[in-house]
Amino acid sequence: MKTTRADTGAPFAFRDGRIAFTVDLRAYRLAAVQKAAYRMAAKCTAVIGQIDDHSLDVTLAFPPATGEQAALEVARVFFQELLDQELREKVGEETVSLRTLILAHAFSRARIPPRG
Amino acid sequence: MHPVFQPRSAYAPRAGYCLLPLRLGHLDGNTYIVTNDVGEYVRLERDELVAFVERRLAKDTNAYRTLKSRHFLYEDDSSVAFDLLALKYRSRVDRIAEFTGLHIFVVTLRCDHSCQYCQVSRQSEDVTQYDMTEAHADKALDLVFRSPSERIKIEFQGGEPLLNFPLVCRIVERAQELNQRHRRDLQFVITSNLSRLSDDVLSFCHEHGVYLSTSLDGPADLHDSQRPTRGGGSYQKTIDGIHRAREVLGPDRVSALMTTTPRSLHRVHEIIDEYVRLGFHGIFLRSLSPYGFATRSLVKRYGVEDWLDFYKRGLSHILRINAGGYLLREDYTTILLQKIFSPLGSAYVDLQSPAGIGIGALVYNYDGAVYASDEGRMLAEMGDQTFRLGHVDQEDYEALMTSEALLSSLSDTMLEGSPMCADCPFLPYCGADPVFHRATQGDAVGHKAFSSFCAKQMGVLRHLIGLLETDAEARDILLRWV
Repeated sequence: MKTTRADTGAPFAFRDGRIAFTVDLRAYRLAAVQKAAYRMAAKCTAVIGQIDDHSLDVTLAFPPATGEQAALEVARVFFQELLDQELREKVGEETVSLRTLILAHAFSRARIPPRG
Repeated sequence: MHPVFQPRSAYAPRAGYCLLPLRLGHLDGNTYIVTNDVGEYVRLERDELVAFVERRLAKDTNAYRTLKSRHFLYEDDSSVAFDLLALKYRSRVDRIAEFTGLHIFVVTLRCDHSCQYCQVSRQSEDVTQYDMTEAHADKALDLVFRSPSERIKIEFQGGEPLLNFPLVCRIVERAQELNQRHRRDLQFVITSNLSRLSDDVLSFCHEHGVYLSTSLDGPADLHDSQRPTRGGGSYQKTIDGIHRAREVLGPDRVSALMTTTPRSLHRVHEIIDEYVRLGFHGIFLRSLSPYGFATRSLVKRYGVEDWLDFYKRGLSHILRINAGGYLLREDYTTILLQKIFSPLGSAYVDLQSPAGIGIGALVYNYDGAVYASDEGRMLAEMGDQTFRLGHVDQEDYEALMTSEALLSSLSDTMLEGSPMCADCPFLPYCGADPVFHRATQGDAVGHKAFSSFCAKQMGVLRHLIGLLETDAEARDILLRWV
């Protein structure tokens, strides 16, 4: 993951109501980024940009009244959420067929209720 | 032949394990929760969670043993987890096949109260054109018994149903007559402010096994200010009705509900104590719903966080009351506990996926229109007919139950396929609420990041899981409510 650094040494730079960074898609799935963006929608709008090789440009746009500290906190939470979403994707990939199997097994002898 | 005892190593866990289907989410701090489709949960620290997902969790840890016992992982030499998960899941969703058990008859819009949070377009007492006709009532009853549900509850709502008591009597008697043939487990409830509870009403309720449900918003001044009536004294009328109903019908045949308004927020202890004083053993700390023109203005006067604070303080007080020896359940908490711990989950219509609209409850309005839920009817009073399924004069049962209005609302909003919900660890304890999201966001699915319904659910569940895991005394009390 690459980030835009400011002179202050903070991991993100808050400029003009936005924080821009790139995500390395070798570390995170695109679906994880999209889901993190969706989940954070109440706090910021995540603009998902171009994919360049393995790099994905993302810009977090904040409501007009958002201060720098609040924006940086949202960005921190965004990346925490991104990590969680990546875990979810990993679990989902491993278990999707098992869920289907369990559901099929659950209803394999289901009886359709008679009409009233 | 001498028996051969295998060495300890023969019984050690196998080298590898695999994940079973689960959802995960952040609780607080460094703590996460994982849940599965049958409502089991485990709390884990993040490093434990990551190790578990990456399949390197040590097998001699408590976390490993707990995850295994609650069907979050399986080892290669056993398929018992699959069988148990399938069995539990089927038990949990079996009630869907029961179909519609709650049938609400809006017998009139007339009312003698002017509640601040009224969710219907109530009419004055002398305007009979807003009463259900006998013909519509009869057709609605025919629809009731088309449901395959073995348990049928007919609930009378309004307005004030006792202002059209003759029709209530007709419906009860006709339903019982029809039930001679249909042989269902039949129950009746009248929701009433009890101000019209005459001896004749009580006698009829006693004879026909009718339950009563009323509203009680707390101490007299609070109740009276929120539920004004001509001549005043709504609180005293309700209290008198409760006492008289208990004398004639029995102590368990009348229940009460409260509604949280801005005035309630700082008086939760007084409200709860009022229920205790009156001998109730349950209280539902119910938030305002966003229906009705009057309610809309009230909803904006407090937010989810305000209500969550109200709820947490209230639950804490209720737990203290229980610890002191008096049984008092918080009803919404009890519903969630059932979803967490009961193999059958909960039958609460408003917390189901697929949603309970139509397939859990149907509403027959005073004018003969049929709605998928009571909230859908309230929404219609505000001009949105999305959840109107048809009319008793025009549609038969099949047409109503296979209408696009119902089926699309059900399928589109299933949590298992909704953004954010599908991955949410609280999914097994939650439900779809298409009417709420239609009312608040203009879309039945709703964007959950902006949903106060979602925020409320998450807040309550996080708090509840926290109590269960960190407060042994609270856990003991809560488990007795299941």
